[in-house]
Amino acid sequence: MATFYDQVKEMGLKQAFVAKSDEVVERITAGMNIGDIRSALRGDEPRRPNPRLRPHADGFWLHIRPSFYHNEITRVYPTFHLGWLSTFMFVWETITGIFLMIFYTPSPLVAYSNMWNIMANVPLGQLMRNMHRLGAEVMVLVVALHMLRTFVTGSYKKPRQFTWATGMILLVLTLMLSFSGYLLPWDQLAYWALTVFISGAESAPAPPVVNQNVLLILQGGPSLGAGGLLRWYLLHVLLMPLLLAIFFFVHYYKVVLHGFSLPPGREEVGEDTAKRIPKNERTYFIPDIMTSEVMWTALLTLFLVAGSLWFWDAPLEHHADPVVTPLHVVAPWYLSWSQGWLKLAPKTVVIGFIPLLMVIFIVMPYFEVGKSRRYADRRVGLSVSMLFIAFMMVSNWMGTPRYRVQSSSDLEVATKLLPEEGVSVLLGIPPEYLWEGQYLPGQVVADNPHLTYGLQVFNDLMVKHSCTNFPGTTIGGVGLETCEAEDHRMPDPYATLTIEQAQEGLVRMVIHIDALNPENTDEYLYNLDWVGYRHENANYEEECSFINKSC
Amino acid sequence: MQIKVAIGTIAFMLTMVIFGYAALREPTRLERFTLAEQGRSIETGAHLYQANCSNCHGVNGLAEECYDLGTGAQIGCIGLPLNYRALLCGDISDRMIALNWQGTKEAFIRSTISSGRAGTEMPTWSEQFGGPLRDDQVRNIVSYVLNYETVELCSGEVIRFEWPDSVDDLLVAFPDSSAENGKALFLSYGCTGCHGIPDEGVVAAVGPDMANIGEVAATRIEGKTALQYIYESILHPSDFIAPECPNGPCSGPPSAMPANFPDRMAVSPGDMVDIFAYLQLLEQ
Repeated sequence: MATFYDQVKEMGLKQAFVAKSDEVVERITAGMNIGDIRSALRGDEPRRPNPRLRPHADGFWLHIRPSFYHNEITRVYPTFHLGWLSTFMFVWETITGIFLMIFYTPSPLVAYSNMWNIMANVPLGQLMRNMHRLGAEVMVLVVALHMLRTFVTGSYKKPRQFTWATGMILLVLTLMLSFSGYLLPWDQLAYWALTVFISGAESAPAPPVVNQNVLLILQGGPSLGAGGLLRWYLLHVLLMPLLLAIFFFVHYYKVVLHGFSLPPGREEVGEDTAKRIPKNERTYFIPDIMTSEVMWTALLTLFLVAGSLWFWDAPLEHHADPVVTPLHVVAPWYLSWSQGWLKLAPKTVVIGFIPLLMVIFIVMPYFEVGKSRRYADRRVGLSVSMLFIAFMMVSNWMGTPRYRVQSSSDLEVATKLLPEEGVSVLLGIPPEYLWEGQYLPGQVVADNPHLTYGLQVFNDLMVKHSCTNFPGTTIGGVGLETCEAEDHRMPDPYATLTIEQAQEGLVRMVIHIDALNPENTDEYLYNLDWVGYRHENANYEEECSFINKSC
Repeated sequence: MQIKVAIGTIAFMLTMVIFGYAALREPTRLERFTLAEQGRSIETGAHLYQANCSNCHGVNGLAEECYDLGTGAQIGCIGLPLNYRALLCGDISDRMIALNWQGTKEAFIRSTISSGRAGTEMPTWSEQFGGPLRDDQVRNIVSYVLNYETVELCSGEVIRFEWPDSVDDLLVAFPDSSAENGKALFLSYGCTGCHGIPDEGVVAAVGPDMANIGEVAATRIEGKTALQYIYESILHPSDFIAPECPNGPCSGPPSAMPANFPDRMAVSPGDMVDIFAYLQLLEQ
């Protein structure tokens, strides 16, 4: 092997430098020199022997990737790129998660202030937090859709049953990852979502000794506290990513082993030609698949970064408080169905049903052994799956706040306007428009569109939650419905909003609602003074500008 | 494929531009969020203050308007005013000097809330010391109390009053008295919180009872009239500690009775005379 010095003497500096660069690039890419890379990107035919196959044969990064794909599966249908997308999201979550890890301590004493530190002191900290949380939501969605696609195209059938089984485990791990990350900010949202989840685990159909110990393990003590937070943190950053990585490699190994299944209509029933791709129907990984993946990576990154910066904001409520339960605790959207189920059946049945369902899904391909992957031959299976999806959608809808147990009418109105957590129409009013005074619902305040709008919403809520015993009565010009027996609405209420200065820069808003008892006008049926505070620097206006916050 | 390379490149560049934009606007955003955290801490502190502190320190922190949290009835304020210049004004406030506090003002208030003030009715609030509040909640209340400090509060002229040594000189300066007003003042200055309401039979909770104080006070110190003794006790509570209180011997020195009445009453010294009238210490 001639040294670089010898090469320079032999061919001159410029030539030697070019040759050396070629050599280095060829080593890095495990087989392609600069000229090969340029020709691949220009779309030229490869030289013989084809250097574009060598990275797959000799390099680490591409050794698991197929060197060519069937033309049919490189289009959007049948895969919709959802498997690849799930992988991308996992990598994305790892990178953003490690960034957040640097500024986070899993202790109830500091976890919550760490969140504010990330948002108020770490450059790009809020963006990073938003990207991580948005990524988590997208990942759950993508993984679930990936599973749905696999079912619909029949790609779980023999010989791919085990791939499906590992995929199911990956789906559960994804949900658990998302949910374990939920607790880490140690705010009210996190604390109570986890509390509900853990108490669900406690009511599983098992002997009490098992349930009690499961509860103890998940809570890390008699109640959710420092031990529990540390536990869920370790689950989130260590155990679950590790398991997910292991199962991902098993999953992908199996995918490559059996080949990507072709669209159902492309092959004879009972045939699997995924591993026998004719020469004229091949799309090579280098350069076509690779550039496609890089393009999607760039587009998705753009979507996630822009979304996190302008359109979507990770929630952060007040500090977790074991003695204050927020009025309405809702599960995250991807577990909403479980809250819906709790309205259909006793807790124990529901909690017992979920693992049963998982097992059913995992073993399904071993029992559902119909040979054909064609849609026309799978009417029963597809109908059952569509019914299941419909059932899940209804369950999800039943789990939403719309379908929850209502508190008393006056509290419903007051907490919508001045919620214990999050933002609202009134809190979103810019501070310079919070003029002191006493206002009625529906009142129009001249030169103050923000407050007028807030009072309009106040009025709508009052109308919704009120009724009248004197037909023709209105609130803010809107007629009320007549009260019926056993009516849970407020009979002919009187409501005001008072805005007063509590301190310099701090405004106190008081929603007063009262309604007399029609049977006995000496006593109040409703009498509520609901107080909310609003500091001029609290930055609610900015929060209101994101699409996932309601103002 | 070339189109994919182009789209990917453009998307990547756009992402970098967005990152650049985010980085450029970051200093102002960080500042805004630092203020937002402070603002929300004050909001939370306001809720906590009204629920835990207002029945002793007053709804406006003035120790004038206190309501029983259970019944809603107005009661005497046991606590000191917090919306108060001597506590809040200056990096080292008068109160910190009086108590020889060497740390910051924030730490002074935080420590007082957390660990209470021994010998007074101020309990420990931090769960570290067996109280009900977590540290983050204590910090929120501190934010709220510190937010009472305003230019208006601290820039106004300090009204001082040279209290004469002898109560007779005070009576000469303020000859008019109203027992009725004295009763209202007895409530608004918070006296009832510790000394009961003598004419309504509400017994004292902390300090000596004020029913027939005229007779008792005369026996306290040889050679001092009841009126002179009471006058000095209000101005300098720690000079003489009364022997018996409702909970056993009275604590002190320093006395549990706040020593800031000379300053608080300086705005209208005649209040002192009205309170004497209410306690039936003045010759009719």
